Amino acid sequence: MGNIALGRYLPLDSPIHKMDPRAKIMAMLIMLIAIFFPSGWIGYGIMFAVAAMMILLAKLEVGFIWRAMRPMLFMLVFLLIINILVVKTGPVLAAIGSFEIHLDAVTQTLYIAVRLLLMIMFTTCLTATTKPLDMTLGIEDLLKPFEKIHVPAHEIAMLISIALRFIPDLIDETQRIIKAQESRGVDMQEGKLKEKIQAILSLIVPLFVSAFQRAEDLANAMEARGYMPGEPRTRYKVLKMAGRDYILLAGALITGTAMAVLAWVI
Amino acid sequence: MPIAFKDVSHVYSAGTPYEYRALDHVDLEISEGKMTAIVGKTGSGKSTLVQHLNALLLPTEGTVYIMDRTISAKEKPKKLKSLRGAVGLVFQFPEYQLFEETVLRDTAFGPKNFGCTAEEAANRARQALTLTGIGPEFYERSPLELSGGQKRRVAIAGILAMDPKILVLDEPTAGLDPAGTASMMKLFSDLNKKMNKTILIVTHDMEQVYRYCDEVVVVENGRIREKETTAEFFRDARRCNEMGMLPPSLIRFIEMMREFGFNVPDGITSEEQLAEWIGREVKHG
Amino acid sequence: MEQIRTENLNFSYEEGIKTIDNVSFTIEKGMYVTIIGHNGSGKSTLAKLLAGLLEAESGKILINGKELNEENLPVLRNTIGIVFQNPDNQFIGSTVRDDIAFGLENHRIPQPEMDPIIEKFAEKVGMTKYLNSEPTHLSGGQKQRVAIAGVLAMKPEILIFDEATAMLDPQGKAEIKKVIRELHEERDLTIISITHDIDEVAESDFVLALNGGKIALMGTPHEVFADEKTITDIRLELPYSTRLGKLLAKHGVTVKNHMTMKGLVGELCQLHSKM
Repeated sequence: MGNIALGRYLPLDSPIHKMDPRAKIMAMLIMLIAIFFPSGWIGYGIMFAVAAMMILLAKLEVGFIWRAMRPMLFMLVFLLIINILVVKTGPVLAAIGSFEIHLDAVTQTLYIAVRLLLMIMFTTCLTATTKPLDMTLGIEDLLKPFEKIHVPAHEIAMLISIALRFIPDLIDETQRIIKAQESRGVDMQEGKLKEKIQAILSLIVPLFVSAFQRAEDLANAMEARGYMPGEPRTRYKVLKMAGRDYILLAGALITGTAMAVLAWVI
Repeated sequence: MPIAFKDVSHVYSAGTPYEYRALDHVDLEISEGKMTAIVGKTGSGKSTLVQHLNALLLPTEGTVYIMDRTISAKEKPKKLKSLRGAVGLVFQFPEYQLFEETVLRDTAFGPKNFGCTAEEAANRARQALTLTGIGPEFYERSPLELSGGQKRRVAIAGILAMDPKILVLDEPTAGLDPAGTASMMKLFSDLNKKMNKTILIVTHDMEQVYRYCDEVVVVENGRIREKETTAEFFRDARRCNEMGMLPPSLIRFIEMMREFGFNVPDGITSEEQLAEWIGREVKHG
Repeated sequence: MEQIRTENLNFSYEEGIKTIDNVSFTIEKGMYVTIIGHNGSGKSTLAKLLAGLLEAESGKILINGKELNEENLPVLRNTIGIVFQNPDNQFIGSTVRDDIAFGLENHRIPQPEMDPIIEKFAEKVGMTKYLNSEPTHLSGGQKQRVAIAGVLAMKPEILIFDEATAMLDPQGKAEIKKVIRELHEERDLTIISITHDIDEVAESDFVLALNGGKIALMGTPHEVFADEKTITDIRLELPYSTRLGKLLAKHGVTVKNHMTMKGLVGELCQLHSKM
């Protein structure tokens, strides 16, 4: 748990941390769309500069972004190999006998790598600076207009926030059950297929039993405190957009438009 | 000497901002054939300590000696499995580890993992279930439909069926009612006295420690604060109070009598003795 | 004034096995009631019935003279608060503040009024310092105190503790017992506590002892524990002072049946000084 960087909230004190989650979510969505415009190396250069600036503002460390990116490396290497085998356009870079490696294979992989890096930079700017609950509130508010077409925005938000609330508990529980079963001689890493299936069952069954127990307890606790699904409720946490949030949105829109224009010009 | 800790430390998430030293240079010897209580506040390091006993956790510094095995921070240990069979570790709320379709199969799961044949494992399971007071009428039932107390007994039988020499129990009576607690403690005491198993119990329940345990190990901030006999530990209520634990009723009662001016002598260790003393005192002044 | 009355209450989870069997009792306003019984005697089921989380098969529950049924439930539910056993599974919000707010949101309390209420009840249970803490950073006792604050914020008349201290360490147990005692001293609330803690039972005004879903004994702690045979038969413990008192009788010292150690020591003092 301690080593996962992707999607993790970091409790720091930065201007980005103070921003309205709705503004941050919208800005991130705009940037994600912008990444998919083929705006060329110039465009990616600008986007990278923007992302780097945001990361600096959010007081995130380069190491943190790198740790978030690291799990993707394997995928990229795999992609590079596939591209080398498949892409046969552009000048030849190297040749081993009749096997040729073409420039386009490398550039195409590089394109994807850069896009992936940008995506991780921008999403990390959101997830590392926004408390999971604030994120939920933001999503709820952004989904509000869709309630007219029967999107249960509040219920979705409630669902996400409860899931977020219980993830650490479930991780603890999983570790505890693994240890309990290891004490009974289960080997979670090695063993024959049949033993492996048993090992997994010995983990999954207790996890389900305890998750159901938790769900029942939670449902009782919520009902006892007057929660009725579908009934109107008031809300304690109210989000407010401030000047800096509009600046963020404007900035995202300008960058996005610039990318679109660049893509069109090229 | 079945168990010894020599300068053992355990650090969680070393090198991260979450770094936490749960055990801090622990030196400890546990006597063979005894029933030892491990007490201390929540978060003092008790659970980390006991998880070293069957090598679920390995020391980050120092050495743990368990029977003929040596587990050192420097070398990666091999064949931990045999150790886990010899040291049975029962976690808190062990009923959450039940998963098989029948009580008998669940209890036989441990011995099977340690290489017993199906028949042998079932035999051991039957013996263990008998010990914990689960009759044959339960063998073919699903463990999930039993009552809380029965589930706990089945789970403990699952560890006993491995026939461990050392039994380590993490708050085995948590959540049980007084009758359930009493019969559970009786079981451990019997395993200790009649079957000569070395027993370690992590608990907050001083009443049980006082009644059943031979020795008390106090863990505080990841260190061993003291290890003494139960009689020494409960000489007065002071140690319990310091740790925020409720002293045994007898000790509390004697302390209260002393506060009220009675000159209760040391060395009274049972209600019977106390009643006898009060009888003499009140009748003859 | 009568606050709760049950009349011939019955409930089964499985057909043919009665978890609650013809239970009738009355609880007065402001009373501190403890419900005792070995595990599986029906205590928690009774609590859930009283809190309107389960529906009785037959019989009636009257709260302030009004029958607890589907029609009255939304109104009566606000009268009854319940604190459960597991500190983790009833912490709904992501921080102490949010968790106390959860009930207020359900009651549609306007947002600007929430903070003063949250702060008031956090203070009542001594959690003001932790208002912005997340549950993973709280002890079991602290989580239970938050649960109590969350329930109190909804202004109930009846507060049920369903083995609220069973999963806590000694420190946590002491914290919660202290809060319960303080609440009882204010006499605003009717308190029903399901417990195995004999010291807590001794402190209460009225005891219901359940066995096999039936009421085996009820009355003041003194009355209930006077029936030693029934208490033993239904696998319950006698208070320490009662047990010691019996041993004393064997050694020629006759004492009254005391519920607390203090009471017994007090009487021994008197006996001693008479010598």
